[in-house]
Amino acid sequence: MLDAKALEIMAKREALKGIRVLDITRIIYGPWAANLLAVMGAEVIHVEIPGSGDLLIRAVSPGGVFPRGLSPGMMCCNSNKYYLAVDMHKEEGLKIIKELAARCDVIMENFKPGTFDRWGIGYRQLKEINPDIIYVSMQGFGNWGPYWTRPSYDAYAQGITGLAEITGFPDGLAVKAQTWIGDFLSGTLAAFYTLAALRHRNRMGEGQFIDLSQAEVLLRAMDWTWLYQSITGEGRERTGNWDPAVVPSTIAKTKDGFVAIGAFPKKEFQGLCQAMGRADLYEEFRDVEKRQKEYEKVYRPIDEWAAGKTTQEILALSREYSFAAAPVNNSETIHKNPHFNARKMVWKFLDPLWGDLAYPRPWHLSETPGRVRWSMRPVGFDNEHVMIRILGYTQGEVEELYEKGVLGKWDENFPATAPPKDWDGKKGLFY
Amino acid sequence: MEVYEWTDWARLNTEPGRAKDKPQALDGVTVLDLSYGSFAGLFASSLMAEMGARVIRVEPPEGDIARNMTPQAMKVKDTGLAYIVEGRNKHHITLDINIPKGREIFLKMLPKVQVLIETFPPRYMENLGLGWEVLRERNPSLIYCAINSWGQEGPAVDEGMGQGTLDYDVVAQALGGFAWTVGLPEDYTEFPEYTRVPTRMGNWMGWYMGGAMAAFSIMSALIFAEATGEGQFIDISPAEALATVNNYAFHVYYLTGLVIGRVANFEPAAYAYHYVQAKDGMVFLAGYADPNWKALCSIINRSDLVEKYPTVKDRTNPKNFIPMTQEIEKFTKRYTREEILKIWLDYRGPGVTVAGEVLKPLESMKLEHWHERKALMKIKDKDYGELLVQGITSKMSGTPPVLKWVCRPVGADNSLIYRELLGYDEEELNRLKAQGVV
Repeated sequence: MLDAKALEIMAKREALKGIRVLDITRIIYGPWAANLLAVMGAEVIHVEIPGSGDLLIRAVSPGGVFPRGLSPGMMCCNSNKYYLAVDMHKEEGLKIIKELAARCDVIMENFKPGTFDRWGIGYRQLKEINPDIIYVSMQGFGNWGPYWTRPSYDAYAQGITGLAEITGFPDGLAVKAQTWIGDFLSGTLAAFYTLAALRHRNRMGEGQFIDLSQAEVLLRAMDWTWLYQSITGEGRERTGNWDPAVVPSTIAKTKDGFVAIGAFPKKEFQGLCQAMGRADLYEEFRDVEKRQKEYEKVYRPIDEWAAGKTTQEILALSREYSFAAAPVNNSETIHKNPHFNARKMVWKFLDPLWGDLAYPRPWHLSETPGRVRWSMRPVGFDNEHVMIRILGYTQGEVEELYEKGVLGKWDENFPATAPPKDWDGKKGLFY
Repeated sequence: MEVYEWTDWARLNTEPGRAKDKPQALDGVTVLDLSYGSFAGLFASSLMAEMGARVIRVEPPEGDIARNMTPQAMKVKDTGLAYIVEGRNKHHITLDINIPKGREIFLKMLPKVQVLIETFPPRYMENLGLGWEVLRERNPSLIYCAINSWGQEGPAVDEGMGQGTLDYDVVAQALGGFAWTVGLPEDYTEFPEYTRVPTRMGNWMGWYMGGAMAAFSIMSALIFAEATGEGQFIDISPAEALATVNNYAFHVYYLTGLVIGRVANFEPAAYAYHYVQAKDGMVFLAGYADPNWKALCSIINRSDLVEKYPTVKDRTNPKNFIPMTQEIEKFTKRYTREEILKIWLDYRGPGVTVAGEVLKPLESMKLEHWHERKALMKIKDKDYGELLVQGITSKMSGTPPVLKWVCRPVGADNSLIYRELLGYDEEELNRLKAQGVV
């Protein structure tokens, strides 16, 4: 399965080796933050409730179909983790969480603000056990402020910030990103802030509490929206595929598909106009400010021109005349793309439990590349590994905890919680 | 000791107003940011600058073209709106690395920095004689992060893609397969044809996601470098970053051959998880796992919908999206967004269901929550006056991020930085200026 280049990546060192993360997060935002640390080599223990596991993500799949017993919603943000299922509603379950927190560098959680504090496993209590722990709380609106009690989802964050209202065409609908970008972008930033806090801890020996709101991350990513509105007093409106600030940069329809085109500097704009055979357009709009003020007059001719060409023709012209262009890919064309395959961005590997799988891999670091080693695992699959190898419980003690329902495994009544149908009871176990 | 409620404790310990007395996590780190015409690089270095790194923005003598990327040609003094947001906490110097004297000065600065960020076309730096192999000789612990949607190597780069042009946000959104899943599907025939196409996010999501992935990768490399003394080369593509976070689209294709396409404001893998019409705009509703769908239906008093669409499989059948939504909208269209929010917040029955308002950005800007938490903040800047900009995203008890200033004019910090780093005096700087080097 692994060719020479993949083997080379697997043989390299890991930037976060030796860092242990207690990941008590759900759905996407939290799991993705911990997943990023795991692809860089951290040992991440993902905690779920016995039986259903994280029902709000394991049950998420297009059409409600779970190929090979995998959950597409779960697998996209839960690779390289160890799976522990413990009931935190029981006193003995909380004791296990405390014991793990004592042996971890980072704890991540995205329960309702204050829940862990009430349960006695909040930052205030855990820092008594582990003074230099980094505690990351990932919320919709944060742990304080007028909206701190509000629940959130990515699509709510896209809605309340106004991101959806600036996306789409003026005479179409306001649309959200189908991607749960409020989760993924925020999770990526949560991982960044965690590493910054880790650096501080490495140097000064101090842990800390981090409160990151996903709605605030989306506000942050809305470029010139707030300055524009506060200066003009006017709202930012949707402009479809026409970027009103970087003129021209757009997605246009071609004879056989779609193409992205960008030509902002004079030289690139001149190249594009030459390729279009429209020297007059360049003469009229060589001045950037004029292009920004009358952008419709720049974009319309580009749309009309692109409609008469194939995507490949425009890509070839972009190289000849030095403007930017790119195909509008989808998941199929990305998978089949020789460029992404050669770069090992399309990362194919043999999962210890599920067989051959593919993951995207954008982390090209020359010495410590990011890599996916294994995908999602069944609920409670690594209980023994965590309880015996990390915490030092005996086999007998573990069995007792199973009997009391403190520890548990999957329940086949819930989708995508169990091992593959033909599982032999051993395959894929690390313990 | 436990006199505070949790939320009071959290506020007391993370309020951005109290940040000034606290240390900064990236104290002692110097970043050279050579970004040109790319907010991916600028965002990555903004994140590091807020955390206390000394970020030196290196612009060509005429300034970064990103300063001109602004709607309606609007500027504050010399600079466009978007750049002002991402100029934060950075020292701005000028240097022309396209001429030999500029490169010589660049190489002299290199041993004094930990991180280098650039967004030129692939191999541009290499062609100037400033490739990774050359730079690591000068500074073995250097972290060199190159950001470009085509990446630094691979067949498309060999064919010349990305050469001679800026690295556009729209290229990232297209190439990464992100735009493919945003927008109205072709069969929404009540809307004009030209609106039923792959759609770019209104904001520069490719640049912001690419910048975030770069900052995360740089931080992991910094932790490695501080443990081992070894630097490394990082190749980040904003297009690949977007492709990586496109939910399950990549995995579903590999497993089943299904290509996830556009579904407007629905979610192919879960229902209810979408926007519905209210009396005065749109509202987000969630309730997709079985018990939560029941909760939603009980609020709108429609147990018949639970019977008709009982399982995840029934509800994620795209054929049912519109019929189910029409039924739900019979309820929601009778109320304003605010009324719906209240109805949902007042629900005390079993299951968890969420309603949330979809706002215009002008409405959103008025929410007190953002201002109290300094997510949006007014800042009085020495050079650019009083402005409302994005403020502090992360609240941290130990090493909080800080917004110190929003931007600086082109070359404003030449004297300070060239003196600190290389010991140049005004006379030397004037000479370099006359030669067009700075």
